[in-house]
Amino acid sequence: MSVPTEHLLALAAILFAIGVAGFFTRRNLIVVLMSIELMLNAANLTFVAGSRLHSSTGAVQVDGPIFVIFIIAVAAVEAAVGLALVIALYRQKQTVSLDAFARLED
Amino acid sequence: MQDIHLTGFGLLSPELVLGAVSLLVLIMDLVWKERGSSRLGWISIAGLALSSFLLILAFDDSVGDTAFGIVVVDKFGNFFKLFTCGALAVVVAFVMGDQRERKDRIGEYYFLLLGAAMGIFFMVGTNNLLLLVLGLELLSLASYALAGFHKGEKRSAEAAMKYIVFGGFSAGVMVYGISLLYGLTGTLDLQVMAGTAEGAGLTRSLADAVTTSPSTVALAMVMILGGFAFKISVAPFHFWAPDVYEGSPTPVTTFLAVASKAAGFGALLRFLAVLFMSPDVAAAVGAYGLQVGSLIAILAAVTMTLGNLAAVRQESVKRMLAYSSIAHAGYVLVALVAMNGDGLEAAMLYLVAYYLMNLGAFGVLIYFHGQTGKETYDSLNGLGRAAPLISVSAVVFLISLTGLPPTVGFFGKLAVARAALAAQEGAYAWLVLLMLLNSVISLYYYMRVAKHLFLKDCEGQTVRPQPAMATLLVIFAALNVIFLLYAEPLVNWTSASMDLLLIGP
Repeated sequence: MSVPTEHLLALAAILFAIGVAGFFTRRNLIVVLMSIELMLNAANLTFVAGSRLHSSTGAVQVDGPIFVIFIIAVAAVEAAVGLALVIALYRQKQTVSLDAFARLED
Repeated sequence: MQDIHLTGFGLLSPELVLGAVSLLVLIMDLVWKERGSSRLGWISIAGLALSSFLLILAFDDSVGDTAFGIVVVDKFGNFFKLFTCGALAVVVAFVMGDQRERKDRIGEYYFLLLGAAMGIFFMVGTNNLLLLVLGLELLSLASYALAGFHKGEKRSAEAAMKYIVFGGFSAGVMVYGISLLYGLTGTLDLQVMAGTAEGAGLTRSLADAVTTSPSTVALAMVMILGGFAFKISVAPFHFWAPDVYEGSPTPVTTFLAVASKAAGFGALLRFLAVLFMSPDVAAAVGAYGLQVGSLIAILAAVTMTLGNLAAVRQESVKRMLAYSSIAHAGYVLVALVAMNGDGLEAAMLYLVAYYLMNLGAFGVLIYFHGQTGKETYDSLNGLGRAAPLISVSAVVFLISLTGLPPTVGFFGKLAVARAALAAQEGAYAWLVLLMLLNSVISLYYYMRVAKHLFLKDCEGQTVRPQPAMATLLVIFAALNVIFLLYAEPLVNWTSASMDLLLIGP
């Protein structure tokens, strides 16, 4: 008894939607970075599901899982750079709210 | 068990040189401390020169792949790698000549620049979406750090924050799009997707997928193209650009506007050429009455109009150049509506012109900013008398950016217009007309700089001489003019670069 691939894809789509919604609605910089991580992980799940879709017994499609491993590393680096910046910004303004930096005119 | 062998590893030598030099710079910074700031710059330039020398050496017979076929070395990739080396060397020279740039942690500065260059190398030299994403991320992460390099300054830290938030979002969207595409086709290789190469295992061509599940393919493509659009700052993914360009240190802005944008175009051109110009996919997409070209035409129209209209209203020259670089991304897209070899060639020619004129314009900005400490139009008053040579060069760059003869900018716009007019029996004539209208708008804000330089007076405006920087700028101004007289080698070079990219008619 195994989970159907469609369910994996649906879960991934829901995760992605939560990530996008979080990105646009939350004002806390750390939560925004978390939303981005959620989007990347939704992609990871889709990669694994896609790999299962194109594999048969004895012939596993490995491109997807390899991509996942690299994306995990990329997400970690992005979090490291992002959080370092959050600290630098907090030192200047004593806040991590995006509202303190809104100057995207035009 | 498959034998693991890395034949053709020598093909990676330009990348390896860059990697070695970037580490060397980082280490020598620790050894030399503050004594080394200009030496490190020269080491970086030497590394870039060596890397370009290796690229030129292999330009004619550099066709092959290595690292299990993931890294592709071809003329098209080498064109953009050489472009990057050239742009980076000038950026390093700008860092050395920028009087406002603090010289502490300079080794890290060059390290990040060279790391970003390596990201670009991998990004433009692959048909594999995994390596494309990794190269793009390497470039992006280095750029985030560079944008916020002066993290103590408010503007710089804010620029980095905005860059990483929007960059991370667009990377997430792009990777999700790629994962959908992988789910549909079972491969990450563009050529296997396009049906021009044989894949391993259970794979399906994109043409197949378009026929069976068109809406999912469309969604995936929109997401992936969104990721590219962010990198090249095309509407509606452009709104990060002005703030980031304005807040970053000016040499970094130069890097983002020239090298990073050209890299985005390099990857996008390859993506479009391999996937959508292959006969199978083109036929499958055409069956739905859709044309990728008309979508690009709309993006181009919106991007150049928005960029130019916003540039008119700016009071800061740096911010004006940021919006103008958005407009120029739109001009390059105009060439792509043709979706054929001529269109790609025109886009590459325009990028060469863009390189010559925009590096010059940013160099002038750095030069004058170093003198006056400000970046507004008014701070330029009277500099035409105080620094006539640089001011005349500035006017040459601005004429070139507008696209008037006798400069390379005119030549670039001409190539773009010709490619767009030839497409679909002139169906895109309206777009070329719009481009000309936009050039007229841009004439206003470019010439405003000249007005402040020469026609407005300011008592006691003096300039400390900076011979090295001035020489570089005058050489660039000269190149802007004389390239037009020797355009033929340039055209031959770009069309040679296209040779092997296009498989099929």
